[in-house]
Amino acid sequence: MIELREVSKTVMSGSEPLTILHPLSLQIPHGRFVAVVGPSGSGKSTLLGLIAGLDAPSSGSVLIDTVDITRLDEDALARLRGEKVGFVFQFFHLIPSLTAYENVAVPMEIAGAADPRTHAERLLEEVGLTGRAHHYPSQLSGGEQQRVALARALANDPPIVLADEPTGNLDSANGRHIMDLLRSIHVNRGTTILLVTHDAELAAMADARLVMRDGRVVERVG
Amino acid sequence: MIFVLRMAVRETRASWRRLLFFFICIAVGVAAIVTLRSVIQSVRIVFGSEARSLLAADVLIGTNREWPAEARKTLDQRLAEAGSGERTETIETPTMVRPADRSKAVAKMAELRAVQPAFPLYGSVVLQGAPVYAHAMLRDHGALVRPELLTALGVQVGEAITIGRAAFTIRGVIASEPGRRVGGFSLGPRVMIDYDDLPSTGLLSFGSRADRRLHVKVPDDRIDALVRTLREDFKDDFINTRSYRSTEDQIGRDFDRAENYLSLVGLVIVILGGIAVSSVTRVFILQKMRSIAVLKCVGARSAQIIAVYILQVMTLGLAGSLLGVALASGVIAAIPIALGASTSILAQVRYGVTWSAAVQGVGIGILVSLLFSVVPLLQVRFIKPSLLLRDETLRRHRDVLSIAAIVIVSVSLVALTAWQAASLRAGLVVCAGFTGLAVVLHFAGVGLVRLIAPMASSRSFPLRHAVLHLSRPGNQTRVILLAVGLGAFFIVGIRSLQASLLGEFSVQVASDGPDMFLLDVQKAQVDGVRAFLGDKSHGAGEFQLIPVLRARVVGVSGREMTLEGADEVRQRGVSLGREFTLTYRDHLEANERVIQGAFWSSAAPEPEVSVEREIAQRARLHVGDTMRFDVLGRTISARVSSIRDVEWR
Repeated sequence: MIELREVSKTVMSGSEPLTILHPLSLQIPHGRFVAVVGPSGSGKSTLLGLIAGLDAPSSGSVLIDTVDITRLDEDALARLRGEKVGFVFQFFHLIPSLTAYENVAVPMEIAGAADPRTHAERLLEEVGLTGRAHHYPSQLSGGEQQRVALARALANDPPIVLADEPTGNLDSANGRHIMDLLRSIHVNRGTTILLVTHDAELAAMADARLVMRDGRVVERVG
Repeated sequence: MIFVLRMAVRETRASWRRLLFFFICIAVGVAAIVTLRSVIQSVRIVFGSEARSLLAADVLIGTNREWPAEARKTLDQRLAEAGSGERTETIETPTMVRPADRSKAVAKMAELRAVQPAFPLYGSVVLQGAPVYAHAMLRDHGALVRPELLTALGVQVGEAITIGRAAFTIRGVIASEPGRRVGGFSLGPRVMIDYDDLPSTGLLSFGSRADRRLHVKVPDDRIDALVRTLREDFKDDFINTRSYRSTEDQIGRDFDRAENYLSLVGLVIVILGGIAVSSVTRVFILQKMRSIAVLKCVGARSAQIIAVYILQVMTLGLAGSLLGVALASGVIAAIPIALGASTSILAQVRYGVTWSAAVQGVGIGILVSLLFSVVPLLQVRFIKPSLLLRDETLRRHRDVLSIAAIVIVSVSLVALTAWQAASLRAGLVVCAGFTGLAVVLHFAGVGLVRLIAPMASSRSFPLRHAVLHLSRPGNQTRVILLAVGLGAFFIVGIRSLQASLLGEFSVQVASDGPDMFLLDVQKAQVDGVRAFLGDKSHGAGEFQLIPVLRARVVGVSGREMTLEGADEVRQRGVSLGREFTLTYRDHLEANERVIQGAFWSSAAPEPEVSVEREIAQRARLHVGDTMRFDVLGRTISARVSSIRDVEWR
């Protein structure tokens, strides 16, 4: 379960403090598919970053399966991300020097998994990229890159997948394909999915919706 | 660990082109170290193995006086005790040689060596052309000479030369001979004659300067003991004893010095490469920021990522070092080609990369790669995975670990330099020099950027942006200035040292240097010689007669040091135990300066002596002390009236 207790984030804008996420409390039970919607700058990605431990909150605490991740150091956070959180970014963020297969295998190698090769190949098969395993990101289309990123997010079979506008950089067909994959992951694996998007149609596919504006959750649906 | 290994391989595969400069910097430096060390070591092997031939004996016992009968008895007894086998005697003396044909009005100073049939005990006399040396060639007034004597005298093999009062027929030309150091000082070309013919020349009269040498073969395990015993036996008899091992040791020390100096030169080249490595690594990490953030996002710890890049750096360091060894092999293989048909001993050397040089070079290459990249690599810890959510720049952080790394790297560099120079002091001096220079270049860089800052508002687009680039984040201005500045300094330093050494060597061949030395001019002959040389019709220009005496210190009564007898002088008189060349004159030369006491200006009631500064310091002599000298058997006491500083160069 994901739990946020009075979590806020303030950054310095020049010499002035700027609150990009106002104190927020929230619980997302295991196995839910939640969409976070809102305009640009509303604090959606910041929220995702705080839940993944990519960023530290200015106040409050974030708990993943009862572990307060705000108290963890960098290495413990990295380990937690490796085990429990998969991340899909709008700009894919694949490592350009590694092939598709290697990008998927890396999280497993870091975690010391027994057979990364077989698992990585199965994941690539699951996202429909069997024949592209040994291509570098620069040799793949945007949709293919995002599918590799999705396979990478699933590498260690995490209970949580965080997706930050995963279709934002794709055409509608590829966007639809990614959403279908996310949906099937949620259904088949029971993975908790937190999807950031400003596309209402995509958000409608989720079980629940959080609507954000100016760093606040202004509406909770479902 | 599997992750670290696999990622290092993948990263190296992907980015080796970007790190090519890194690779080349290390390769060039390692090539310099391996080449310099290997060449010195190869040359050293030949000189070391030639040590016996250089001495032409296992043990050489010599005196520049007549052999005392008692000493010969002792000598025979000691040699018998030591199980000495063969022995042979030689006498060497400098003398003038001229063609027997009086119509050729030339003469040349030569180094005459009279040898017995068993000479040489080691090595061989090599003659030019077909003939093989045999002592029979010298019998009945035969002579072998160096080719330069033939040229100087305008004579040929088969013609006669006059040595002293006797005529000798030239029967061959010496290409090389044992017992003569390469590059050693000589008064003239070698002339070899039969030992039994020497008396006929009349050169061996009372007071003549002649070195009598007894060459002996001794079982290897008894050499050191024999040398020790003979030195003890003859400590008061002006008889010197040395073995081929002491020659080997001296050569070894000379080569150690040369090897350490040249290795230091090589290390400095590697360090310059290291500065470039540091810069390349910093830029590389900046370029890899996003990938590092991704790795952290998917669970990698900073230590794992640093380990990946350290492994990569070491792999590149190893590859660069191996390339350096290959480059060194190429350069070394070209040396014999460059030497061509030279007959010098350097052409006899079997040049090749030595194992120890290769191992040292590779070790240094990897170590320098590591030392210079570890500090920029530590910046990996400050790359945040949040970078993937929003653009962030990497600011240079200095925490305790970074500062500790800088300290460890600095200490390691001092240790590395000290190791290469075989001297902690040299290591510290070189590193302190580098640091001082780096600070100066840093401020020069800052000043230069400020100086040209106004050009940033130039109307010229290229100029404006070129200037702005010099101070943009992540610029390499100061690093490049540092590397280029240190490089230029290093080149100028080496060139200056070279010029200084060449200047020193060229003293001997300076245009105002003497063309000829007249030795052994006796007191009764001084006026005649002076008159002869003063007569311009003989073609002599400026000349200077310098009185010289050979003497040994046999006592000191001084403020700090009191030594009674030659025995004590030898045992306790630091640096006073050897034979000295004394001169007497009424003025100081241009290269001399009195630093204590006063130089004599008029006849003194008692003999006075002026001592050179270094000898005075080592032997703790002061103005007012009394020294006793044995000059050709007479003891003369002299008061130290001044200490002189002599600029030997």
